[in-house]
This record gives sequence, C-alpha cells and structure tokens, in this order.
Amino acid sequence: MMTVIQATHLKFNYGSQQVLKDIDFTVEKGEIIGLIGENGAGKSTLLNILLGLLPAHGAATVLDRKPGTAFNKAHLGSMLQGDMVLSGITVLEMLQEAAAQYPKALDPLTVLAEIGLQAQGNQRITNLSGGQLRRVTFGMALVGNPDLLFLDEPTAGMDAKARQDFWQHIETLRQQGKTMIITSHYLEEIQQIADRLLILQDGRFTFQGTLDELQAQHLETVITCQTQLQPAIFKGLPAVTGVQQTGPLLKIHSTDGDLTLKALVPLLDQLHQISVTRKSLEDIFIQMTGK
Amino acid sequence: MKTLLNQLRFDSKRLIVRSLSFFFFSILMPAGFYVLFTKVMLVGGSSVQQQQFAKTYMGSMIVYSILISAIFGIASILKRDRDQGLLVFLSLAPKGTLPYYISVFICILGINLGAVVVLGVLAVFLNHVSLSANQWFNIIGLVILCQIPLLLIGTAMSFIKRQETLSVVSNLVTFPMAVVSGLWWPINMLPNWLQTIGKLTPTYFANNTLSQVLTNGTVDLKNVGGVLAWLGLGVALVILMAKRTASKGVVLDHG
Repeated sequence: MMTVIQATHLKFNYGSQQVLKDIDFTVEKGEIIGLIGENGAGKSTLLNILLGLLPAHGAATVLDRKPGTAFNKAHLGSMLQGDMVLSGITVLEMLQEAAAQYPKALDPLTVLAEIGLQAQGNQRITNLSGGQLRRVTFGMALVGNPDLLFLDEPTAGMDAKARQDFWQHIETLRQQGKTMIITSHYLEEIQQIADRLLILQDGRFTFQGTLDELQAQHLETVITCQTQLQPAIFKGLPAVTGVQQTGPLLKIHSTDGDLTLKALVPLLDQLHQISVTRKSLEDIFIQMTGK
Repeated sequence: MKTLLNQLRFDSKRLIVRSLSFFFFSILMPAGFYVLFTKVMLVGGSSVQQQQFAKTYMGSMIVYSILISAIFGIASILKRDRDQGLLVFLSLAPKGTLPYYISVFICILGINLGAVVVLGVLAVFLNHVSLSANQWFNIIGLVILCQIPLLLIGTAMSFIKRQETLSVVSNLVTFPMAVVSGLWWPINMLPNWLQTIGKLTPTYFANNTLSQVLTNGTVDLKNVGGVLAWLGLGVALVILMAKRTASKGVVLDHG
C-alpha cells in the first residue's frame, strides 16, 4: 500500500474559532474515504487545507508533497461546494476550459458523455438545473484525469437517478485505482461506497475505520415489524434498549438481537413483516452526534 | 502561449461576443455622448473651434470608455469570477491564474480599441476630423498605456468582499473621476480646489495626453509621467489588496 495523504497534528483556526483540533489520519492509494460530520464540523476546511487553499498548523503531505504544489495540482481533481454559473458559456466549452488546464487531460466530449450531459453539451451553463450543474462540476474534476479526487457534497441537488449514476461512476473510478475523499450528507450512499469512514466532530476525528468496525462499536440490532400490540410490552424483553413507534412500524432496538428474537417467539403470530437489521451509519451518526 | 490562446478564446466568447452589456457601456454609450455633444447639442464658436472640440472630445470619450471598462468592467468581471469559483478552480489547476488575468486584460483592451475605432469612424465621417496615420498610431499606443493604471485600480477594487460595496465604490470612483478630470466638460469650468484634485487623477493625465496628440500631434511626456506614476500606484494597490486577501486565506466554506 502506498500512502497518498498523511496528516499529523493538523490544526486550523478561523480567527479565535478552533475549527480543526489536532487531526491525525492517513489515506492509502485506491481507498475511498467517507468524510462525515455535521455542518460546521470542519470537513470542507480539511479539504481546503489538503488542496493548499488554506494554511494550517501541523504536518500534511498529499502525494508525498506539501499541499498545493504544482505536482499535486496536476494529479488532483476537486469538486468543491458551489457550482460555477458563468454566463455566455456552454457545458462543452466549460469542460474544454477545464481540460486546457491539465497536462494529461481526457477528451472533454468523452467526459461529457460520462457525466450524462451529451444532450446538453451546447446548452448555456446558465440554463442548467442544480443537479445538472453539479454534474458539470464533477466533469471538471474528472477531465484532468486525476489520481486523487476530493468530492465535497458531490450529489447535493441531484435527483435520485443522477445520484445512482454518480455512485456507479465512483465505482468505476475505484476500479481504475483512483483515491477519493468524499463528504456527503447522504449517509446511506456513503456507507455503501466508502472503504473507510472518518467521522469529524467538533474539529476532531471521533472515529476512523470501516463500517463493520463502527457497527461493532455500536452493537445494536433493530427489529422492525408491524403489530397491534402496545409498545410497552416490548420494553421489558431481554436486551431491549428502546422501542419506537413510527406510524404502523415498530422499531425495537436491542443490544443482543439473538436474545430478543428468542423472547419474541411467543408473540410471532401477532407480528407482521418482520425485518432484522444492524444499525445503519445514519443511526450511529445520529446517536454519536445527538442530532 | 497555447494556454493563453485557449483562455483568450474562452474569455472573449463570454466577455465580448456573448455579452451585450459591455458593448453598450464601453462602446455605444461613449459613442452616443460623442454624437450628442458634437452633432446634436452644438457648442458655439467658429468652425475651427468646433473642429478642435470634435477632436478633443473624441479623446475625452475614449478615456471615458477606458474608465468605464476598467472600473466597472474589470472589477465586476474579476469579482464575479472570484465569487463563482473560477479563480479558485484555476488556482488549483497546474496552469494557474496568470493566463486568465492576461486574457481578461487583453479582452478589455480589445473592447477599448473597439471604442477607438467606433469613435474614430464617427469623428472622421460625422465631424470630418482629419488625423495623420502617426496620430492614430500614437492614440492606439497611448490608449494601451493609459488604461493599465485604471485596469490595476479596477483589479484592486475586485478584492472588495461584498458585491454591494463594490457597486457603491465603482460609482463613487467612476463618475466623480470623469467629472473632476474634465471628461464630461472642460476642467476650467470647475472651482479651483476641485481643479487641483482633478489634475491629479489618472484620467486627467490620460485625457491631456490624448488631447495633445489629437491637437498638435505631439506626445506630452509630463502627462505620460503622470500616467506612469499612477501605474506604479496601481501595482502597489493590487499587491496590497492581494496580500490582504491571501493573509485571510481562500475561505470557501467553513463546514
């Protein structure tokens, strides 16, 4: 494995506000990292530091160099928050402009097809929808043929189909050996694609590892079913930590799924559409952040 | 060179070919003023004096066009591109932002040379102004030189953080500068104290330099010196504003 990013004791302040507090982490070649945290946790600040846009205290190397070097710029693609809506420019012209900045750029027409905007190539950027603009920004990050990609809220504003296409594209990029750091508020999407998760809370990483490791730390099984029985009946069952009624659905949270399921056997004829799941990333994240 | 040509192609499309506002404010408006004051609202005096006025007023309107393009044009282009993220995108790319700045400057220069052509055609065909080839070449050279300090002032202004503030500052700089430097009416019509201020403005030096070329065919080095002094000041102002912005970092999002 080759280390692509290494950060040690990284700190950053906006005035007197401490945004990043002593951050340590590494990213290996070919990894997809899900960087998650609440709004204002410091995710974008961290990406800006790694891009060389913000100066930070501590040590950080990207592709074995200080952030922001000419070598890094040639091998790095970024999709930051906010899209460029330049007037008087078409989608294809925007991609051509981006391609002209890189030494080993891909063909803008190929990228245009990859982001699914072939039909909009000659359309002015100002006439695109929010989701289409996000795809243009993704295309601009890709057209330089980077080895390392920083994607900050890449699917914001995209509809369900576009999001699905986008994650499929990320999967293809993974197969090509690209390294990616992705921030997103769509945690169910991140949990499916990320090799490792970095959870940023109040300027510090409160977790670094795989989803399995995270779920192991938050051992809980959620038994979901439909029933006419009162929720209070389930609260007294072994290992049950909580019961939630959401419309017709009842969610039973248990620290030991096997034990609770055995206790449910006598009630089975009154339970319908039973499903048993481990806690999702979103459930764990909400539990961790209390939000 | 290839990078610059690519950038120039990109910027000329969006800033000139597909932007009517620039055409209107930088070329049509000064041309309209020129026709208005030399053909419609005729000044008194002999035909020789009128001919002289047609020449010098052409110079004033060329400088006015430069002023509009520089202060309103370049400041708003750079500010808008910075707000849209184009400058961050380019600064993250290997080629950097230098080709972009040069290309935008060339586009503005092109617009101003367009203004010289339009005003020149109007002067020659409407007012029968006659200038030697040498005078035309000097005008073109001086237009290029005189607009650099104004472009630098516009560039420095583009670092103003809020669009509303930039708009107010642009108005506060452009129109008073046009008035006190004698672009709209002769400077000697102003009170003495205002004339003293007006004679220190970059547009006064630019207007006087062009007037000298248009009337006697000579280049007044004293006025050119004034333009060069403003060029130095403009460079210092841009460096100061850029350093001030850089010290705060490029803040994209605090999340």
